[in-house]
Amino acid sequence: MRLKPGKAALLGTVAVSYLFLYLPVVHIGLASFARNSNFPYPPKWSLDTMARLFSNSLYQTALANSLVIGICSALLATALAGLATIGLMRHAGRRAPLYLALFIAPLFVAEVLLGISSLIFNGLFLGLRGNMVSAVLANVVHCFSYALLIIATQLYRYDWRLDDAAMVFGASPARTFFEVTLPLIWPGLLGAFIVAFIMAFNNLEISFYLLGATPTLPSAAWGALRYGVKPELYALATCVNLVVLLLLSLMFVLMRTGLVTFGHRPERERSAV
Amino acid sequence: MAYIHLDGVSKQYGSVWAVDRADMAIGKQEFVSLLGPSGSGKTTLLRIIAGLERPTQGRVLIDGEDVTELPPHRRGVAMVFQEFLLFPHRTVYENLAFPLRMLKLPKGEIEARVEWAVGILALRGLEKRYPNQLSGGQQQRVALGRGLVGRPKVLLLDEPLANLDRELRQEMEVEIRKHQTDLGIPFIYVTHNQEEALSMSDRIAVVRGGRIEDFASRTAIYDHPRTAFIAQFVGRSNRFTGTALISQGKTALCDHGVRIESAARPDIADGKRIAAYVKNEKIQLKPAAEMPADAANTLTATIRYVLLRGAYAEYVLGWTGGEIIVSRPRSEAAFAQGAEVACFWNEADIDLFPMTEDGR
Repeated sequence: MRLKPGKAALLGTVAVSYLFLYLPVVHIGLASFARNSNFPYPPKWSLDTMARLFSNSLYQTALANSLVIGICSALLATALAGLATIGLMRHAGRRAPLYLALFIAPLFVAEVLLGISSLIFNGLFLGLRGNMVSAVLANVVHCFSYALLIIATQLYRYDWRLDDAAMVFGASPARTFFEVTLPLIWPGLLGAFIVAFIMAFNNLEISFYLLGATPTLPSAAWGALRYGVKPELYALATCVNLVVLLLLSLMFVLMRTGLVTFGHRPERERSAV
Repeated sequence: MAYIHLDGVSKQYGSVWAVDRADMAIGKQEFVSLLGPSGSGKTTLLRIIAGLERPTQGRVLIDGEDVTELPPHRRGVAMVFQEFLLFPHRTVYENLAFPLRMLKLPKGEIEARVEWAVGILALRGLEKRYPNQLSGGQQQRVALGRGLVGRPKVLLLDEPLANLDRELRQEMEVEIRKHQTDLGIPFIYVTHNQEEALSMSDRIAVVRGGRIEDFASRTAIYDHPRTAFIAQFVGRSNRFTGTALISQGKTALCDHGVRIESAARPDIADGKRIAAYVKNEKIQLKPAAEMPADAANTLTATIRYVLLRGAYAEYVLGWTGGEIIVSRPRSEAAFAQGAEVACFWNEADIDLFPMTEDGR
């Protein structure tokens, strides 16, 4: 069957777009599994670079730090954003747009500035030295805004009258949350957690200013640049990319199937059997 | 002593009184309907009884206890919602068991009561289904079952049949009234549908603009409407307007040459604008030739259309003053489209009300 010109042009555009997005990633992926990592065409397959990465204790410390920052920031941001969304939808009334705007404004502040201002403020007024705690707190600031947007899109579809029903049938507010609200909104919370985790895990600027010499994966990678691109960096980039891809696909699958089997479905999607 | 008391209950939203000084006393075995157009405040009143809204003023008493300050989960009430609001992540069984689990009943008791609800509501075989796998009627029965399993002190129903088609609605009306009678608990039923209110209730409260316009037995509401609004809203009526003429112990009005004459109404002053309502089924028909044309409470008209409603026929008639609608049982002689007929009614079937300035 011959391709029509319009369809061919469409497919071509899609192909070019994806190449644009993923060629660098694929290049690094090849390089990290090849002995000739500077120009892996054709690649001479090898796990050397990976082995070097995993024997380098700097990267291991950095990975541990990044994981701690990622998980702690994501947990805190998700919890706060969840509460903020519930407050916005249930109790904010007519001022909700104002509150929402103030909640998502941190999205538009450059991360470098966020890092510097957090460092100065913490040092001057809170007596907090740059450390993991203040790095987590600063990361929560911008993770919170993303998490809020993700949770809000999910909770927008939630029918709050289900909470009324639960309470009329004898559930206390806390019981209502755990029996009815949470089981129906958890895909949104998980999505927010994953995105917040990835953001905090990958963050260079904020963490860098607040941690100084304590390495995270992005700051170790950035530091390594000064001595030339080493093969470990290829391996590191590939590992991080793989983890991120895995998490995103997990989220995608959960949002899709989770919504269909657990989430509340609006009237129009309900089918009579 | 009434079982449920509303004592001067009012609810203000901004500058609007959604409910305005509602007083009601409801007995333990009573089926009461709150009937009113949308936005009249009937649902707000129901939600105040449930505890989902706090009244701005007034008290709510259930079984002698002042529950005004109690949150919904401590009131021992149950509710059936218009949108069903079944928990979508729970099966039919789990939805029915929910109120029982909240009551912390032992497992055996929960099973027995869910089994009972499944039995009386014909839900057998559907226990493992999720709400989105049920038809509208089945969802409604689960919602009703969830309301009944916990043996609440009162069951509140908020337009529960509004989302069902007509046939199913009539079936459910019978079923709801049956369960209320069997269980002997009060039902408070919110509806804008007068047929539902009339078919099931013991008493009807007509709600309008946040106020209870009348609270009386369904026959009183239907047969002796206390206000023009009730006459218009309950049952289907024909309306005649004119100026009050008081003579020979009668109060009468003249509309397009038709004299409508009712028993004396001392509360209506001579010369005041009044409206008369005569229910569709209270008007009788005869061939025009058999009737003296100038008698009171009689008018001649031409049949424009005949709508067949099964047990009765509905005649749409044209007369000099416009159109009237008359319902007659099919057992009576039928009239054909285009026929000239005389319409007449009894003095006692006229409801007279003074008209307000806006002409209503």
